[in-house]
Amino acid sequence: MPSPETDRQWQTLLADDEESWRPAPPSLKARLYSALIRQQQETGPLASLDVSVADGHDVCIFEKLVQIAPVSGAAKSPFFCTACHSRVLAEHFDNPPIFWAHCPYVQFKT
Amino acid sequence: METEPGIKAPSETLPSYQERQLVEQVLSKDRKATAEFVSFCADSVHSFVRKRLTPRVELVEDLMQEILLAAWQSLPKFRGDASLRAWILGIARHKTDDYYRRRLREADITEEGGSPVDPAVEPLLDRLLDAAAGQDRGERTLNLLPEAYTLALIWRYRDEKSVREMAELSGKTEKAMERLLARARENFRKEWNHAQS
Repeated sequence: MPSPETDRQWQTLLADDEESWRPAPPSLKARLYSALIRQQQETGPLASLDVSVADGHDVCIFEKLVQIAPVSGAAKSPFFCTACHSRVLAEHFDNPPIFWAHCPYVQFKT
Repeated sequence: METEPGIKAPSETLPSYQERQLVEQVLSKDRKATAEFVSFCADSVHSFVRKRLTPRVELVEDLMQEILLAAWQSLPKFRGDASLRAWILGIARHKTDDYYRRRLREADITEEGGSPVDPAVEPLLDRLLDAAAGQDRGERTLNLLPEAYTLALIWRYRDEKSVREMAELSGKTEKAMERLLARARENFRKEWNHAQS
Protein backbone atom coordinates (compact mmCIF):
# COMPACT_ATOMS: atom_id res chain seq x y z
CA MET A 1 0.00 0.00 0.00
CA PRO A 2 1.29 3.49 -0.76
CA SER A 3 2.04 5.83 2.11
CA PRO A 4 -0.56 8.48 3.04
CA GLU A 5 1.78 11.09 1.59
CA THR A 6 1.94 9.24 -1.73
CA ASP A 7 -1.85 8.92 -1.72
CA ARG A 8 -2.08 12.66 -1.18
CA GLN A 9 0.22 13.30 -4.13
CA TRP A 10 -1.86 11.08 -6.36
CA GLN A 11 -4.94 12.98 -5.24
CA THR A 12 -3.27 16.25 -6.19
CA LEU A 13 -2.22 14.89 -9.55
CA LEU A 14 -5.65 13.55 -10.45
CA ALA A 15 -7.80 16.24 -8.83
CA ASP A 16 -10.33 18.26 -10.76
CA ASP A 17 -8.85 21.53 -11.91
CA GLU A 18 -10.70 24.65 -12.90
CA GLU A 19 -8.79 24.97 -16.16
CA SER A 20 -10.34 21.78 -17.49
CA TRP A 21 -13.89 23.00 -16.82
CA ARG A 22 -15.95 22.05 -19.85
CA PRO A 23 -19.44 23.44 -20.22
CA ALA A 24 -22.02 21.23 -21.88
CA PRO A 25 -22.26 21.72 -25.65
CA PRO A 26 -25.43 23.64 -26.60
CA SER A 27 -26.69 20.76 -28.76
CA LEU A 28 -26.40 18.41 -25.79
CA LYS A 29 -28.40 20.84 -23.64
CA ALA A 30 -31.05 20.95 -26.35
CA ARG A 31 -31.31 17.15 -26.45
CA LEU A 32 -31.43 16.95 -22.65
CA TYR A 33 -34.20 19.53 -22.57
CA SER A 34 -36.23 17.63 -25.16
CA ALA A 35 -35.72 14.39 -23.22
CA LEU A 36 -36.79 16.00 -19.95
CA ILE A 37 -39.91 17.45 -21.54
CA ARG A 38 -40.78 14.03 -23.02
CA GLN A 39 -40.42 12.53 -19.56
CA GLN A 40 -42.67 15.22 -18.08
CA GLN A 41 -45.29 14.53 -20.73
CA GLU A 42 -45.35 10.86 -19.80
CA THR A 43 -46.82 11.82 -16.45
CA GLY A 44 -49.51 14.10 -17.87
CA PRO A 45 -49.85 17.30 -19.85
CA LEU A 46 -47.37 20.14 -19.52
CA ALA A 47 -48.47 23.37 -17.90
CA SER A 48 -50.29 25.64 -20.30
CA LEU A 49 -48.36 28.47 -21.93
CA ASP A 50 -50.64 30.82 -19.95
CA VAL A 51 -49.06 29.41 -16.79
CA SER A 52 -45.56 30.00 -18.17
CA VAL A 53 -46.43 33.61 -18.94
CA ALA A 54 -48.05 34.06 -15.53
CA ASP A 55 -44.87 32.65 -13.97
CA GLY A 56 -42.99 35.53 -15.60
CA HIS A 57 -41.49 33.71 -18.57
CA ASP A 58 -41.42 35.09 -22.08
CA VAL A 59 -42.62 33.01 -25.00
CA CYS A 60 -41.35 32.91 -28.55
CA ILE A 61 -43.32 34.28 -31.47
CA PHE A 62 -44.85 30.89 -32.32
CA GLU A 63 -45.78 30.17 -28.73
CA LYS A 64 -47.29 33.67 -28.53
CA LEU A 65 -49.62 32.81 -31.39
CA VAL A 66 -50.78 29.75 -29.49
CA GLN A 67 -50.95 31.60 -26.20
CA ILE A 68 -53.26 34.34 -27.48
CA ALA A 69 -55.41 31.94 -29.47
CA PRO A 70 -59.01 31.75 -28.20
CA VAL A 71 -58.73 28.12 -27.15
CA SER A 72 -58.82 26.29 -23.86
CA GLY A 73 -55.82 25.94 -21.53
CA ALA A 74 -55.61 22.25 -22.39
CA ALA A 75 -55.11 23.16 -26.04
CA LYS A 76 -52.13 25.28 -25.04
CA SER A 77 -50.40 22.44 -23.20
CA PRO A 78 -48.76 20.34 -25.94
CA PHE A 79 -45.05 20.75 -26.55
CA PHE A 80 -45.23 22.72 -29.78
CA CYS A 81 -41.45 22.78 -30.18
CA THR A 82 -41.71 19.16 -31.32
CA ALA A 83 -42.90 20.48 -34.68
CA CYS A 84 -40.50 23.42 -34.84
CA HIS A 85 -37.40 23.40 -37.00
CA SER A 86 -35.46 25.32 -34.35
CA ARG A 87 -35.59 22.28 -32.08
CA VAL A 88 -34.20 20.04 -34.81
CA LEU A 89 -31.43 22.49 -35.63
CA ALA A 90 -30.55 23.06 -31.99
CA GLU A 91 -30.34 19.35 -31.26
CA HIS A 92 -27.86 18.85 -34.09
CA PHE A 93 -25.75 22.00 -34.16
CA ASP A 94 -23.94 23.86 -31.40
CA ASN A 95 -24.45 27.17 -33.13
CA PRO A 96 -27.77 26.72 -34.94
CA PRO A 97 -29.04 29.47 -37.25
CA ILE A 98 -32.00 30.37 -35.04
CA PHE A 99 -32.21 33.83 -33.63
CA TRP A 100 -35.70 34.77 -32.47
CA ALA A 101 -36.17 35.80 -28.91
CA HIS A 102 -37.40 33.60 -26.08
CA CYS A 103 -37.05 30.30 -27.88
CA PRO A 104 -35.76 27.83 -25.26
CA TYR A 105 -33.41 26.33 -27.81
CA VAL A 106 -31.89 29.73 -28.56
CA GLN A 107 -31.32 30.15 -24.84
CA PHE A 108 -28.97 27.14 -24.87
CA LYS A 109 -26.71 28.84 -27.42
CA THR A 110 -25.47 31.39 -24.92
CA MET B 1 -22.78 25.48 0.44
CA GLU B 2 -22.39 21.71 0.41
CA THR B 3 -19.69 20.67 -2.00
CA GLU B 4 -18.58 17.39 -3.45
CA PRO B 5 -14.87 16.57 -3.27
CA GLY B 6 -13.07 17.86 -6.28
CA ILE B 7 -16.03 19.61 -7.86
CA LYS B 8 -15.66 23.19 -8.88
CA ALA B 9 -19.07 24.71 -9.21
CA PRO B 10 -19.49 27.73 -11.44
CA SER B 11 -19.54 30.96 -9.52
CA GLU B 12 -23.04 32.08 -10.52
CA THR B 13 -25.71 30.79 -8.18
CA LEU B 14 -29.32 31.71 -7.58
CA PRO B 15 -30.61 33.10 -4.30
CA SER B 16 -32.42 30.37 -2.40
CA TYR B 17 -35.89 31.87 -2.92
CA GLN B 18 -35.27 31.86 -6.69
CA GLU B 19 -34.12 28.27 -6.53
CA ARG B 20 -37.29 27.27 -4.68
CA GLN B 21 -39.36 29.17 -7.21
CA LEU B 22 -37.59 27.45 -10.09
CA VAL B 23 -38.11 24.04 -8.46
CA GLU B 24 -41.82 24.72 -7.96
CA GLN B 25 -42.23 25.80 -11.57
CA VAL B 26 -40.37 22.77 -12.91
CA LEU B 27 -42.52 20.49 -10.76
CA SER B 28 -45.61 22.13 -12.23
CA LYS B 29 -44.18 21.17 -15.65
CA ASP B 30 -43.68 24.71 -16.84
CA ARG B 31 -41.64 24.19 -20.03
CA LYS B 32 -39.87 27.53 -19.76
CA ALA B 33 -38.77 26.84 -16.21
CA THR B 34 -37.61 23.41 -17.33
CA ALA B 35 -35.40 25.02 -19.98
CA GLU B 36 -34.00 27.32 -17.31
CA PHE B 37 -33.39 24.30 -15.09
CA VAL B 38 -31.41 22.54 -17.84
CA SER B 39 -29.39 25.70 -18.52
CA PHE B 40 -28.74 26.09 -14.82
CA CYS B 41 -27.37 22.64 -14.09
CA ALA B 42 -26.13 21.13 -17.38
CA ASP B 43 -22.66 22.73 -17.34
CA SER B 44 -21.78 21.55 -13.82
CA VAL B 45 -23.12 18.06 -14.41
CA HIS B 46 -21.36 17.82 -17.76
CA SER B 47 -17.99 18.81 -16.37
CA PHE B 48 -18.37 16.41 -13.45
CA VAL B 49 -19.53 13.45 -15.51
CA ARG B 50 -17.09 13.95 -18.35
CA LYS B 51 -14.11 13.90 -16.05
CA ARG B 52 -15.32 10.71 -14.44
CA LEU B 53 -16.18 8.78 -17.57
CA THR B 54 -12.94 9.59 -19.34
CA PRO B 55 -12.02 8.14 -21.79
CA ARG B 56 -15.56 6.80 -22.47
CA VAL B 57 -16.92 10.23 -23.38
CA GLU B 58 -19.48 8.64 -25.69
CA LEU B 59 -21.36 7.60 -22.52
CA VAL B 60 -21.61 11.13 -21.15
CA GLU B 61 -24.91 12.02 -22.81
CA ASP B 62 -26.74 8.90 -21.64
CA LEU B 63 -25.54 9.34 -18.08
CA MET B 64 -26.39 13.05 -18.07
CA GLN B 65 -29.88 12.25 -19.28
CA GLU B 66 -30.23 9.67 -16.53
CA ILE B 67 -29.05 12.22 -13.95
CA LEU B 68 -31.40 14.98 -15.08
CA LEU B 69 -34.39 12.65 -15.22
CA ALA B 70 -33.55 11.33 -11.74
CA ALA B 71 -33.17 14.92 -10.52
CA TRP B 72 -36.58 15.83 -11.89
CA GLN B 73 -38.18 12.78 -10.29
CA SER B 74 -36.53 13.62 -6.96
CA LEU B 75 -37.25 17.36 -7.03
CA PRO B 76 -40.20 17.03 -4.62
CA LYS B 77 -37.60 15.95 -2.03
CA PHE B 78 -35.43 19.03 -2.56
CA ARG B 79 -35.42 20.87 0.77
CA GLY B 80 -32.99 23.66 -0.03
CA ASP B 81 -30.48 22.61 2.66
CA ALA B 82 -27.80 22.69 -0.02
CA SER B 83 -27.84 24.77 -3.18
CA LEU B 84 -29.78 23.29 -6.07
CA ARG B 85 -26.59 22.81 -8.06
CA ALA B 86 -24.84 20.98 -5.20
CA TRP B 87 -27.94 18.82 -4.74
CA ILE B 88 -27.93 17.83 -8.40
CA LEU B 89 -24.21 17.11 -8.27
CA GLY B 90 -24.96 14.76 -5.37
CA ILE B 91 -27.30 12.84 -7.69
CA ALA B 92 -24.59 12.90 -10.37
CA ARG B 93 -22.16 11.41 -7.88
CA HIS B 94 -24.55 8.57 -7.03
CA LYS B 95 -25.10 7.82 -10.70
CA THR B 96 -21.39 7.80 -11.51
CA ASP B 97 -20.79 5.58 -8.48
CA ASP B 98 -23.37 3.16 -9.89
CA TYR B 99 -21.51 3.17 -13.18
CA TYR B 100 -18.13 2.55 -11.51
CA ARG B 101 -19.60 -0.22 -9.39
CA ARG B 102 -21.09 -1.96 -12.42
CA ARG B 103 -17.91 -1.68 -14.48
CA LEU B 104 -15.59 -2.80 -11.71
CA ARG B 105 -17.88 -5.72 -10.81
CA GLU B 106 -17.57 -6.88 -14.40
CA ALA B 107 -13.80 -6.35 -14.48
CA ASP B 108 -11.56 -9.36 -14.01
CA ILE B 109 -9.85 -8.39 -10.76
CA THR B 110 -8.03 -11.10 -8.81
CA GLU B 111 -5.86 -11.35 -5.74
CA GLU B 112 -3.45 -13.60 -7.62
CA GLY B 113 0.14 -12.73 -8.34
CA GLY B 114 3.05 -11.36 -6.37
CA SER B 115 3.02 -8.42 -4.04
CA PRO B 116 1.64 -5.29 -5.56
CA VAL B 117 4.49 -3.34 -7.01
CA ASP B 118 4.74 0.23 -5.75
CA PRO B 119 8.29 1.36 -6.24
CA ALA B 120 9.61 4.50 -4.65
CA VAL B 121 6.98 6.74 -6.09
CA GLU B 122 7.47 9.96 -4.18
CA PRO B 123 10.32 11.35 -6.31
CA LEU B 124 8.43 10.42 -9.48
CA LEU B 125 5.25 12.10 -8.31
CA ASP B 126 7.17 15.16 -7.24
CA ARG B 127 8.40 15.45 -10.79
CA LEU B 128 4.89 14.93 -12.16
CA LEU B 129 3.49 17.64 -9.94
CA ASP B 130 6.27 20.02 -10.85
CA ALA B 131 5.35 19.81 -14.50
CA ALA B 132 3.55 22.94 -15.67
CA ALA B 133 0.90 21.01 -17.56
CA GLY B 134 0.89 18.13 -15.09
CA GLN B 135 -2.86 17.81 -14.72
CA ASP B 136 -3.57 18.07 -18.40
CA ARG B 137 -1.00 15.43 -19.07
CA GLY B 138 -2.39 13.35 -16.23
CA GLU B 139 -5.74 13.44 -17.98
CA ARG B 140 -4.23 12.32 -21.25
CA THR B 141 -2.35 9.53 -19.51
CA LEU B 142 -5.55 8.33 -17.85
CA ASN B 143 -7.13 8.10 -21.29
CA LEU B 144 -4.49 5.60 -22.36
CA LEU B 145 -5.09 3.09 -19.57
CA PRO B 146 -7.42 0.10 -19.62
CA GLU B 147 -10.84 1.17 -18.37
CA ALA B 148 -10.64 -0.68 -15.02
CA TYR B 149 -7.39 1.09 -14.17
CA THR B 150 -8.76 4.51 -15.10
CA LEU B 151 -11.93 3.96 -13.09
CA ALA B 152 -9.99 2.72 -10.06
CA LEU B 153 -7.63 5.70 -10.08
CA ILE B 154 -10.40 8.26 -10.52
CA TRP B 155 -12.62 6.66 -7.90
CA ARG B 156 -9.78 6.47 -5.41
CA TYR B 157 -8.00 9.76 -5.99
CA ARG B 158 -10.47 12.12 -7.58
CA ASP B 159 -13.56 11.01 -5.71
CA GLU B 160 -11.54 10.14 -2.59
CA LYS B 161 -13.19 6.78 -2.01
CA SER B 162 -11.41 4.53 0.47
CA VAL B 163 -10.13 1.15 -0.72
CA ARG B 164 -12.64 -0.51 1.61
CA GLU B 165 -15.57 1.43 0.12
CA MET B 166 -14.43 0.61 -3.39
CA ALA B 167 -14.16 -3.06 -2.50
CA GLU B 168 -17.58 -3.16 -0.87
CA LEU B 169 -19.31 -1.30 -3.67
CA SER B 170 -17.80 -3.40 -6.43
CA GLY B 171 -18.18 -6.74 -4.63
CA LYS B 172 -14.43 -7.40 -4.56
CA THR B 173 -12.04 -8.01 -1.67
CA GLU B 174 -9.91 -5.19 -0.31
CA LYS B 175 -6.83 -7.12 -1.30
CA ALA B 176 -8.03 -7.43 -4.88
CA MET B 177 -8.80 -3.73 -4.95
CA GLU B 178 -5.37 -2.85 -3.60
CA ARG B 179 -3.80 -5.00 -6.29
CA LEU B 180 -5.91 -3.32 -8.95
CA LEU B 181 -4.85 0.12 -7.72
CA ALA B 182 -1.18 -0.91 -7.56
CA ARG B 183 -1.35 -2.15 -11.16
CA ALA B 184 -3.20 0.98 -12.18
CA ARG B 185 -0.56 3.24 -10.63
CA GLU B 186 2.21 1.21 -12.22
CA ASN B 187 0.58 1.42 -15.65
CA PHE B 188 -0.01 5.12 -15.21
CA ARG B 189 3.69 5.62 -14.50
CA LYS B 190 4.69 3.55 -17.51
CA GLU B 191 2.39 5.47 -19.84
CA TRP B 192 3.58 8.75 -18.42
CA ASN B 193 7.24 7.83 -18.91
CA HIS B 194 6.52 6.41 -22.36
CA ALA B 195 4.94 9.69 -23.44
CA GLN B 196 7.97 11.56 -22.12
CA SER B 197 10.55 9.46 -23.95
